[in-house]
Amino acid sequence: MDESVKQKNYQWPEQPGRIPDWVYTDKEIFAREIERIFDAANWSYAGLECELPNPGDYKRTFIGNKSILLVRAENGDVNAMLNRCAHRGAELCQHNAGTVKEFMCPYHQWTYDLKGDLCGVPFRRGVKGKGGMPKEFRLEEHGLKKVKVQRRGGAIFACLADNPPPFEEYLGPTVLGYYDRIFNGTGLKLLGYQRQRIPSNWKLILENIKDPYHASLLHVFFVTFGLFRVDQPSRVLIDESGMHTALVSQRGKQEMNDGTEQMRSFNAALKLNDPRLLDVQKEFPGDATVVMHTIWPNLILQQQSNTLATRQIIPLGPNEFEMHWTFFGYETDTEEMTQRRLRQANLMGPGGIVSMDDGEIIARVQDGLLQSASDVGIVEMGGRGSELETEHMVTEVAIRVFYDGYRKVMGL
Amino acid sequence: MSIVIDSRAVERLYYDYAQTIDGGDIEAWPNYFLDSAFYQIISQENFDRGLPLGIMSCEGMGMLKDRAFASAKLNVYAPRTWRHLIGNICFDEAGDEIQSTANVVLFETIMGRSTQILLSGRYIDTIKKTDGALKFAKRVVVYDTTIIPGSVVCPI
Repeated sequence: MDESVKQKNYQWPEQPGRIPDWVYTDKEIFAREIERIFDAANWSYAGLECELPNPGDYKRTFIGNKSILLVRAENGDVNAMLNRCAHRGAELCQHNAGTVKEFMCPYHQWTYDLKGDLCGVPFRRGVKGKGGMPKEFRLEEHGLKKVKVQRRGGAIFACLADNPPPFEEYLGPTVLGYYDRIFNGTGLKLLGYQRQRIPSNWKLILENIKDPYHASLLHVFFVTFGLFRVDQPSRVLIDESGMHTALVSQRGKQEMNDGTEQMRSFNAALKLNDPRLLDVQKEFPGDATVVMHTIWPNLILQQQSNTLATRQIIPLGPNEFEMHWTFFGYETDTEEMTQRRLRQANLMGPGGIVSMDDGEIIARVQDGLLQSASDVGIVEMGGRGSELETEHMVTEVAIRVFYDGYRKVMGL
Repeated sequence: MSIVIDSRAVERLYYDYAQTIDGGDIEAWPNYFLDSAFYQIISQENFDRGLPLGIMSCEGMGMLKDRAFASAKLNVYAPRTWRHLIGNICFDEAGDEIQSTANVVLFETIMGRSTQILLSGRYIDTIKKTDGALKFAKRVVVYDTTIIPGSVVCPI
């Protein structure tokens, strides 16, 4: 364990399957997460290609809590840079998106090209022989801080560190396979954004998506209509780093059986007045009807029936994060499929018939965690092991394996 | 055909609608709509950019009822009260329809927490008179709030 962490008397519980409360509430732990996770050599989700169709199109996005610009260059490349003027630190772009020829900070009109290189400093040579920048000041040394970019199949990732790992290696073959199932190279069609702030630690939403156990209990809607339920053929797949997960499942029937009879929230009589909400059309090869990916450190990639969305996690502090949802379809979608995706979007997001339960419950967990730094949480469902492949949903294994990896990264 | 509408009747519709939700009778909320009505809550960002995604969208009475039932009976959320503050109602008659807009601010008080503004925005409505009552043929809530603080657990 690191010396600085020891000094504050952080003791990871010795018993396996336990998570200490302070990992969700402590300011120093949060500062260390920014440094060792978001500023470090990880690929953070930053956006979609379809958000930047033309040269000069930009998107304001985030890596951790840092504002980043993604820009489409003249040659079709995507450049990424810190959204922070090299001069005094002002944010260059305040809009979420737009189109520019260059970036100019309004404060002193320092101007940058689409690569982030500094190309103009007013009064650089002074006025009437007076003032100006020192002779040694070189424009090429004062561009915007460049950020590494990785594109694959329509999504864009970025990394603040100079030495990111190869993306394929980073995701590992199992999760990459599911990633490519969604981002298969077909052009994407942007449907819109939803943005919310949740009063909870950012890791709790990743854990929520790594936890198939809750989905069969908390969400009456999932349970009753069989969208995600323990009695269905399901798999929990984890990559070798332990940090990325894919939860894969097949839709089940609305029937009473060994699984559903244990679920108080199962309602055999519940019927939709308008069944179009669940008018699902098969569109991917294979039997899976839902794949929920957590891609470390900031992405939940969701395919639930015909809803496709990225959820970008922006940590604001130990007790608060933002989640920015981007819903999309494919360029090849018929109008009917677009309408289907938009209807099913009612299940997701801050007003989602299913997702609102998650946003609410993790806030409730945070309230509990804030009452004590010395208590621990239990993640023993499915045993205490660290299997990378599980053929059922009655397990919290993906959370256990995640914390094995997290502790290494964090030196805890 | 023109229908001369008493401005108090339009105000009444807005205030009764808000009172029904604020009073907690969510399952009565669909009664303010025509069977073929469209309802949506959408961000200003999506609205301005022509992006069709809302945070709630209902096409017709069946979806309105399903959403109301989910909010009232299925969803799990912290106990709270809502207050709609509605102002600046402006409307015009056009044929047998009324085109109407109004500002709305929604105060949310979650048990044990401070009251917060969940969102501010505006209603963009199409109202029709049927069987002597005014009902919404279309109601779109366009919210300015860039980041929703928490969740939108009920229709607005």
